Amino acid sequence: MSKTEEASHSTDAFEIWRQLYDANERAWSAALEQAMGSREFGESSGKLLETLLAAQKSVRESMRTYLETMNVPTREDIARLGELVVGLEEKVDQLGDRLDGIEEALRAKRAKSAQ
Amino acid sequence: MTTSTRATWPDAESLWSSNDRALEMARAVLGAADAPVGLTPKELIWRKNKARLYRYARPGPATHRTPVFLILPLINRAYILDLRPGASFVEFLVGEGFDVFLIDWGTPGDEDRALDITTLVTRYLPRAVTAIRKATGKDQVTALGYCIGGALATCFAALHPEVTRNLVLLTAPLDFADAGQFGRMTARGIFPVDRLTETFPTVPGQVPDIGSKLLNPIANYMGTYQRLWQKLGDPDFDVQGWQAMYRWVNDSVPFAGAAFRQWIVEFYQENRLARDMLEMDGRPVRLASIRCPVLNIAASRDQIAPRATTSIVTNRVGSRDASEILIEGGHVGIVVGRTASQNLWPRVGAWLSEHD
Repeated sequence: MSKTEEASHSTDAFEIWRQLYDANERAWSAALEQAMGSREFGESSGKLLETLLAAQKSVRESMRTYLETMNVPTREDIARLGELVVGLEEKVDQLGDRLDGIEEALRAKRAKSAQ
Repeated sequence: MTTSTRATWPDAESLWSSNDRALEMARAVLGAADAPVGLTPKELIWRKNKARLYRYARPGPATHRTPVFLILPLINRAYILDLRPGASFVEFLVGEGFDVFLIDWGTPGDEDRALDITTLVTRYLPRAVTAIRKATGKDQVTALGYCIGGALATCFAALHPEVTRNLVLLTAPLDFADAGQFGRMTARGIFPVDRLTETFPTVPGQVPDIGSKLLNPIANYMGTYQRLWQKLGDPDFDVQGWQAMYRWVNDSVPFAGAAFRQWIVEFYQENRLARDMLEMDGRPVRLASIRCPVLNIAASRDQIAPRATTSIVTNRVGSRDASEILIEGGHVGIVVGRTASQNLWPRVGAWLSEHD
């Protein structure tokens, strides 16, 4: 019996899975591509995502209420602190930009007066 | 030859060999998270919030004048362009004599909920370029953007033509009039982008990741393992290479809420860049404002950035020198795949040398 035939009658689960995949990949992909390309699929997955998000939001809000009751900083509190640091960094950068501009103008002025 | 229709039980030897291969497969998958990646030596030269700008170490001075500035996508780890020795676009460019810089956007946290694409293009990129100019003493850079990074590079080049010597785009989606499956998934009225960004300050990396994988679910969810199973039987199979790629594919990054919203609404749904309606910080962002040489690289089997989304740039920019290369392969494959080192990298290297 040839190797291929031997493999095709194997009871090795992994080999069976591989053969199944090889034989059907194209057909499965084409069918899924067609199904998922439809507007219905898009609408349905959008609704599913919206439901999951509603559940997630509810869990987050409950957790926030619980932590606030316990006088423990929430995720939002820590994020707000982080936002202040990021904002401060931006202000320092803006000052750096202005200093760079002043330095450049001074250099240009010096070069002009040296001529 | 006799043909048996009966299933044959494997003998002990093949059974154990199959079990060994299954264990090897589990080891390859489970060990992928620790695969060494991004090994080209580099130095941190600028940072802002989570973003880091690196300069890659060179054995000697650069032989090309214009520094190459790599702008990476927001949803993937930056090491895709420096995957591992021998499979690294960065390593190739350094070897070709370029002074290479890369911006790694890092991992946004909840405090970055208001960080949008406009801020990245108008506050981060100009300062990163200033840092490159200070480090090199050169006035201009070549901006090379990959995927979403290409869209950012395009906006930057349109707003700052004075510092952009060249623009190179790697599979960069810019026109969303026909954005394929992604466009349908994110269509207005279908995709709950507002609720998503209200619920999550940073959109979990799994959201865009699942979206990408659903473009070809069988190949992405099953084919990966099927191919691994098959290759493990080959004594020359490079397990570490597979692990590095597997690590990258599954190492998704959260998307800052405001940036995600802007990407979906202004780029995908309203197609503002292609329709000349995009504004950043009150300034119009127009493709026609780009006057530098442009090289646009598209992948023939790209489902993430289909050709219809990438081809607009060569016709619409204000440059006289705008060309396109179509490479056989997919969105990621053309950058790090087997043929990248023989096809894409030398062609980009040659173009950059010509436009130095």
